[in-house]
Amino acid sequence: MKAVTEFFDRSTHSRTGNQLLSSQGRFALLVSIAVLAVAAPIVQMIHPFWLNLMVRMMIFALLALSLDFVFGYAGLLSFGHAAMFGAGGYAAAIVITEVTPHALVVLPIAVVAGVVIAALIGWLSVRARGIYFAMLTLAFAQMFYVVAFTDLPATILDRGSVTGGDNGLYGIGMYELFGIDFTSTLMYFYLTLGLVALSLAIIIRLANSQFGRVLQGIRENEERIEFIGYDVQRYKVVGFAISGGFAGLAGGLYVPFQSVAHPGLLHWMISGELIVMLLLGGMGTLWGPMLGAGLVVLLEEQLAGFASWEIILGGIFVGVVIFAPRGLAGILISLRNDPGSAVENAKQAVRDYLEAVRG
Amino acid sequence: MVEAIIRATLLGLQLGMTLALIAAGLTLIFGMLDVINFAHGALFMLGAYLGTVIAGQLGSFWLALLLAPLIVGVIGAAIEILSLRPLYGRNPLYHILLTFGIAIMIQGAILQIWGGQSRRISVPEILSGSVPIGPVNYPLYWLFVFAFSTVLIGLVWIGIERSNLGILMRASAHDTEMVNALGIDVSKVFTGVFVFGAVLAGVAGVLLSGTQSVHPGMGFNVIIEAFIIVVIGGLGSFRGAVYSALLIGLVSAYGALIAPTLTELFLFLLMAVVLMIKPSGLFGTTEAA
Repeated sequence: MKAVTEFFDRSTHSRTGNQLLSSQGRFALLVSIAVLAVAAPIVQMIHPFWLNLMVRMMIFALLALSLDFVFGYAGLLSFGHAAMFGAGGYAAAIVITEVTPHALVVLPIAVVAGVVIAALIGWLSVRARGIYFAMLTLAFAQMFYVVAFTDLPATILDRGSVTGGDNGLYGIGMYELFGIDFTSTLMYFYLTLGLVALSLAIIIRLANSQFGRVLQGIRENEERIEFIGYDVQRYKVVGFAISGGFAGLAGGLYVPFQSVAHPGLLHWMISGELIVMLLLGGMGTLWGPMLGAGLVVLLEEQLAGFASWEIILGGIFVGVVIFAPRGLAGILISLRNDPGSAVENAKQAVRDYLEAVRG
Repeated sequence: MVEAIIRATLLGLQLGMTLALIAAGLTLIFGMLDVINFAHGALFMLGAYLGTVIAGQLGSFWLALLLAPLIVGVIGAAIEILSLRPLYGRNPLYHILLTFGIAIMIQGAILQIWGGQSRRISVPEILSGSVPIGPVNYPLYWLFVFAFSTVLIGLVWIGIERSNLGILMRASAHDTEMVNALGIDVSKVFTGVFVFGAVLAGVAGVLLSGTQSVHPGMGFNVIIEAFIIVVIGGLGSFRGAVYSALLIGLVSAYGALIAPTLTELFLFLLMAVVLMIKPSGLFGTTEAA
């Protein structure tokens, strides 16, 4: 808790200069957000469907960001982020239908749902490490999937339906806020963009705070951090819960937009896809995974028309791992640092590959 | 009631032994190569499809049982040499993304070649019909699957424990540099282990294509089950994988008897409980990073 209060106190802000993003990087992020905001109405005019696609890309970017905070940044290999995404989504669906569609009520509830589920999963899993931690988070997330799929709450509470079983909950209404019409994709785009930008700002701030430094230390050398006197388990659980809150927010944004909450949101394929987005984008950079998420959503949408889209998508993953292990972020950083030797680097990568294959 | 329990027990043992074939490959590949092979389920599925097609074309189940795993082994060799070999020593996460990509590619290729409808292998004449076991009439083919898997697992076990090749495999896993320094080409040993795991998965695929339908989703279905088995048994432990495969087979069979929709929940609950009590699995010695 101390770390969280210190986070709001600017004076303890790290001055090591080893910031997650340079001021230049932050400027680039601001420009990207501004470009997105300006581009939206133009895209709307040219082809409204693309705007719909952009909203989904941003929601998954937020989800990938939340995972990168614990996975790329704190080294907690979560294979169960779909649970928090789905929890936020189902919470939003139920509150909108049963109580109120007011965004200022529903979205915080979605965040809290994500935090609670993440705290529970994190608390139960943190004693295991590495791949065993991953499998535990997977197990708990899959349990939530089965619970939603079989509508266990309805059986326990003796009600007709709570999660809607394998059909899910459909016909979810849209948010209400200050009389803005969110059924317009453009308005929903701005809501999403605003919340994604806010989340990104908070996560960058957290990552650069003392709390974030401790998480990073845990990733690098857990024993040492423990010897210094930090309660490693508690830091992990808190970090995981914070990440879960953002995943819940992503779920809360996704469900009303699609107007359906179904068990597929909780399935491990979502968690697996998230890890793919992270590695494709370049984990630990926060902005890389967001790009990766956008790219995966875009590819799945664009390639769906091809008969052999799975072969192409799989081939891209394989190619990235072999030739660009640091992901999109790695490619962009090396292009910025040294644009002249891009061709030479590519040739070298192919040579290295051939040499490795020959053994 | 007694009848149902006997039937479930037999079914559980049969399923467990066949799953052991898949889990054994997965755990050997992890133990020796440090690779979490997400494509293992896809190789299993490939075995099932190739088996069904070969049995259909050549009209012989036995030829299918021989040829399909060999073809899967060749494909396994190509995967190992072309994509895994350049990645050894890197963060194991990259292996997950790589093999995930390969799994998607194999699934896509299967959809392209054989379409989405489900199929089944035709069981040979000699194995059709059923035999009475106590009060239960049990299909002969299912008994054959159980016996075949058990013998194969037994042979692999003895091979790993006793044969020179098994000792070489374990030595390469234990200290790669030392074995390399002794003049043995470790990269060939690694390829061999991966191919061996692929062949076992292929055999399991052909065997199970006679008891359940063959469809393009089966690869991803089985991989999670196989992961649960390997994690409960302790990553890298062959013995652990076999015992826990039997356990999972029985839990699945009894679970289907009690509450069919919640079987998956039981499996994950079992894994969670085991990991919370023993964070590195039942037979795991070291904590995997």
